[in-house]
Amino acid sequence: MKKLAAPFVTLMFLACGAPDSTSTPAPASAPAEQEASTAAAEKVRIGMSQCNLGEPWRVQMNADIKAAAAEHPEIDMVWKDAQNDTLKQRAHVEELVSAEVDLILVSPKEAAPLTEPVAKAVEAGIPVIVLDRKVLGDKYTTFIGADNVAIGRAAGKWLAGALQGKGKIVELEGLMTSTPGQDRHTGFLEGIAGSGLEVAFTADMKWLEPDARREMESALARLPKIDAVYAHNDPGAHGAYLAAKAAAREEEMMFVGIDALPHEGVAYVKQGILDATFQYPTGGREAIETALAILRGETPQKEITLGSRVFTAANADSGGEPIP
Amino acid sequence: MLALLLVLLIGAIFDAGGAFWKASMHRDALRQASVYGILACGMTLVIVTGGIDLAVGSILALSAVAFSLMTLHWSWPPWWSVPATLLLGAAAGSVSGGLVSRFKIQPFIATLAMMVFARGLAKTVSGGMKISTAVPDGAGGFRYTDVPALFRAIDSRVLGGNLSTVTVIFAVCAALSWIALACHRWGRQLYAIGGNEEAARLSGVPVRAAKLGAYLASGLLAAMAGICQAAQEQQGDPEAGAGYELSAIAIVVIGGTHLAGGRGGIGQTLVGTLTIGYLEKILSINAVPEATRLMLTGAIVIAAVLTQRRGDTR
Amino acid sequence: MLRMRGIGKRFGAVPVLTGVDFECWGGEVHVLAGENGAGKSTLIKILGGAHTDYDGTIELDGAVVRPRSPREASALGIAIIHQELSLVPTLGAADNLFLGRWPTGPLGLVRGRAQREAAVRALERFGLDVDPDRPVGELGPATRQLIEIAKALDLGRSRGVQGGAANDPDRDARVIVMDEPTSALAGPDVAELHARVFDLRAHGCAIVYITHRMEEIDQVAERVTVLRDGRRVGSAPAAEVSPALLLRWIGGREAPEPYQRAAPPSDAFARLPDRLRVEEIHVTARGRRVVDAVTLDVRPGEIVGLAGLQGSGASELLLGLFGAMGGAAEARVRIDGEEVRIRAPRDAIARGVALLTNDRQASGLVLPLSVAANLTLPSLERLSPGGIRRPALEAATAAELMRSLAIRAASPTLEVRNLSGGNQQKVALGKWLPLEPRLLLLDEPTRGVDVGAKREIYQLLDRLTAQGIAILVASSDLPELLALSDRVVVLHRGRVTARLARGEATPERVLAAAMGDDGTAETSP
Repeated sequence: MKKLAAPFVTLMFLACGAPDSTSTPAPASAPAEQEASTAAAEKVRIGMSQCNLGEPWRVQMNADIKAAAAEHPEIDMVWKDAQNDTLKQRAHVEELVSAEVDLILVSPKEAAPLTEPVAKAVEAGIPVIVLDRKVLGDKYTTFIGADNVAIGRAAGKWLAGALQGKGKIVELEGLMTSTPGQDRHTGFLEGIAGSGLEVAFTADMKWLEPDARREMESALARLPKIDAVYAHNDPGAHGAYLAAKAAAREEEMMFVGIDALPHEGVAYVKQGILDATFQYPTGGREAIETALAILRGETPQKEITLGSRVFTAANADSGGEPIP
Repeated sequence: MLALLLVLLIGAIFDAGGAFWKASMHRDALRQASVYGILACGMTLVIVTGGIDLAVGSILALSAVAFSLMTLHWSWPPWWSVPATLLLGAAAGSVSGGLVSRFKIQPFIATLAMMVFARGLAKTVSGGMKISTAVPDGAGGFRYTDVPALFRAIDSRVLGGNLSTVTVIFAVCAALSWIALACHRWGRQLYAIGGNEEAARLSGVPVRAAKLGAYLASGLLAAMAGICQAAQEQQGDPEAGAGYELSAIAIVVIGGTHLAGGRGGIGQTLVGTLTIGYLEKILSINAVPEATRLMLTGAIVIAAVLTQRRGDTR
Repeated sequence: MLRMRGIGKRFGAVPVLTGVDFECWGGEVHVLAGENGAGKSTLIKILGGAHTDYDGTIELDGAVVRPRSPREASALGIAIIHQELSLVPTLGAADNLFLGRWPTGPLGLVRGRAQREAAVRALERFGLDVDPDRPVGELGPATRQLIEIAKALDLGRSRGVQGGAANDPDRDARVIVMDEPTSALAGPDVAELHARVFDLRAHGCAIVYITHRMEEIDQVAERVTVLRDGRRVGSAPAAEVSPALLLRWIGGREAPEPYQRAAPPSDAFARLPDRLRVEEIHVTARGRRVVDAVTLDVRPGEIVGLAGLQGSGASELLLGLFGAMGGAAEARVRIDGEEVRIRAPRDAIARGVALLTNDRQASGLVLPLSVAANLTLPSLERLSPGGIRRPALEAATAAELMRSLAIRAASPTLEVRNLSGGNQQKVALGKWLPLEPRLLLLDEPTRGVDVGAKREIYQLLDRLTAQGIAILVASSDLPELLALSDRVVVLHRGRVTARLARGEATPERVLAAAMGDDGTAETSP
């Protein structure tokens, strides 16, 4: 129901974009629509607190939010970048509360320190949508995020299918003290369980391409035959590819990454560097749509899990396929 | 030197199922150490004057981004893109140098400011995205360019595949730095400034110009390292080189150059580069877990400095 | 009170002390003499706990002690006043006086006011009028030396006279070692220091006094012990040791005759213009005019002495002429009749002017560099045409200088820090010679230099002036200054108070002018 409502209201907004068009009577008498048309008359201010813009994925999230918000001229975005500083992000959320924005989007750096400011915002009557990483407890309006375990599992299943259940895998892990790294690892092991695939070499590449290349060179030196590389992000898979290419062994193995940013993973797949990449969606568009729904007075689901897509050479040009 | 031998000995004992004895292992170890080594050469010039350059990692990133933009997006030929990138690095270095020598700002603060500034500039220029072969077409999509021949050339090998080109570039940078420091008047002036700046000034050493030159050279070499990094990654990453300044300082100190200035040299830095490079490689081929690696690296750095100091006592 | 027996110490394979016996009783000043490198400093370092591996024993009041650190030595009541100052330059006099034994309250917090008051009392007793909070690095060398001594003297005083600030009586110094305490001091300050030494002696302290100055031995010593090459060569009551015997002990040879300048300015230079002519030089430092409208000239081949007490401005005058003070110095300067503008040391060097600073370790030498590198530093640009250094040319230049100046170093590649004071001084001076300077500005040319090296430096200056080089020299060692100078210009607080030719310059007249008597007022007999 809500999913259907969102695009419909979007159209309404587009139609009612001009100020004088508020005189147009609302086509239906449902209270939601009435509120929507008043909202269209007034500007809505949405604050976005991003924990850092050092990672391309988060830059992409902001870009997605921006693109979605641009389709709604009444939305005024207020951007905050905490530059990877938890305390700064706390202050940003508090600033947004005192600036009395209509709704807050927050992509937290860490759960515990942001729990309290988010709860305070909710108590002050400002809805808060938490993106990607959760806060503790339930004092927030909605959480939107993807499931890293499910993505890792999908990657494992895909490789098991592509290699027909047999082969040696090199796993290049993201920072192993980080939750996404741990989840992508756990999910992958679940995905290949019982398939006959074997992880023959594991190394922590800390999400960094140069480190991935170094670790892959070591794997190449130790293993005479590698069937596939599973890297926890696309730059890691790209670094592994460069290492294999330098050793003239890139033909013997498959390369699989995660994230599928348009200019990174998807581009690598289109260029034939990676065999597959699994999207870790930013949820930017969903965040704006949910925000508008909340401002219309709807009560969203407490937790929205984003679906992921897989991009391969076969489907990359057509926008990938959703994973089951 | 002792520390390097120790590291190699460890590598020979834990030879990762024979992987240590392959030529490719040594080629890769040298390739990985090369970017750090190039930074460390510039760092040596600065540390000899009693200064420090914290900006090298950020200048590396800025140069990698600029070089990728010129080469991938704008398709500049190498004879434009390489000098332009080097010029950019030299300019950034000379700003640090000017702050230190002309305005007497402490090197730590001046280069810390440049480190933050250059990182910000790299992110601004790149729009926070990696500059790769996927070039935005202006309509939300991408067009794909080939990896340019220049990138391939820098990331290639010579001597029948037994030596990486970046290692050759490092060797050339080290040789030029060595000539500057050991055979040129300027190098002797840098030592004199590091040993006693006031005495050097009163002996007619052009202190300001010589110091400015050291930071300029450090920026120039950081740009060279940025070119190598971009070519090896086939992209310009505005986040590249984070923390590399600390590795470069560690390499210089492990080699035996004193942070107080006035002593040390490129020879020592070469030994330091090999020590750190081989240490990382040996830990990597033995698939040592990250946490253990950090502890071992810390312990070996201290052991290296201690053995180094023993050799130093007279 | 103090008895050291059979002390031996080696650095690597080189013995620096061999079987040295030394004793010093309470209420006695015992002078320890010897050339630089004779082992005096090492003996003191052993006593002060800085060297812990040595042979022999140290007894204090009959009990064997073995101080393992300067802190332990200090707890035993041994106070050392080092030749190289041990003050922390960034702290004020008050903090320095109580360094390591700050009076503390119940929580270990420093009782700042109590410390400050005690410090002011201590400084006043010593006649020092300085702001106790001003960083000592900003004070002149002589003032710093006086604070250093005040620091140790206050330790001794608090035992004999009154409580002082030290709240722990164990920390009072019973043995006080002074390593060349007067090397940076001028006449009246020396007398003041001696008075303090006699006070301490009266309170029963044992005082070990190291000096290079012959006249000081006469003035202060009860007993004299001489070291040479790490061995004790003689020890006797001062009254029984003649100057000739003392010099034989120290140098191992007969006493040299008093120095006589061999080459007064030759007539050959008479037709040349003044080598240096300075009109109305002003130097401002720390907001004060430290050199005020000084006019002077130096002829080719002439040595002009600048006499003055602490604060006379002689050092600043030399630095200002050399361009080392930047914009703080203004003057009209002519060199060989040509008007020149000197705004930086490089300008001065280009005009053939060289400067020997008054502190070779702080500003004269690059200590971590080799002897050869230091000797070739000013002439580096000549020795490296096109920028590329010529190692053979540098080595030859350094070797020639080491030979002609008799610089004693195991190798030209030895770091200059390892040389003795006299040899370091020769390097600091000799490095200018390859530039063939026309004018030498010398500030304390023989500070902390042993008798033999002093003589060699004097002879060198004679040789240089015979070639027509002009010298402007400042020295707080008045006999030296009078022996060297063809003319003396006396400064008092930045102004000229007397100009005396060689014959007129008696110690009395110079001292009177240095203390502010410019000859215009009638002096009472």
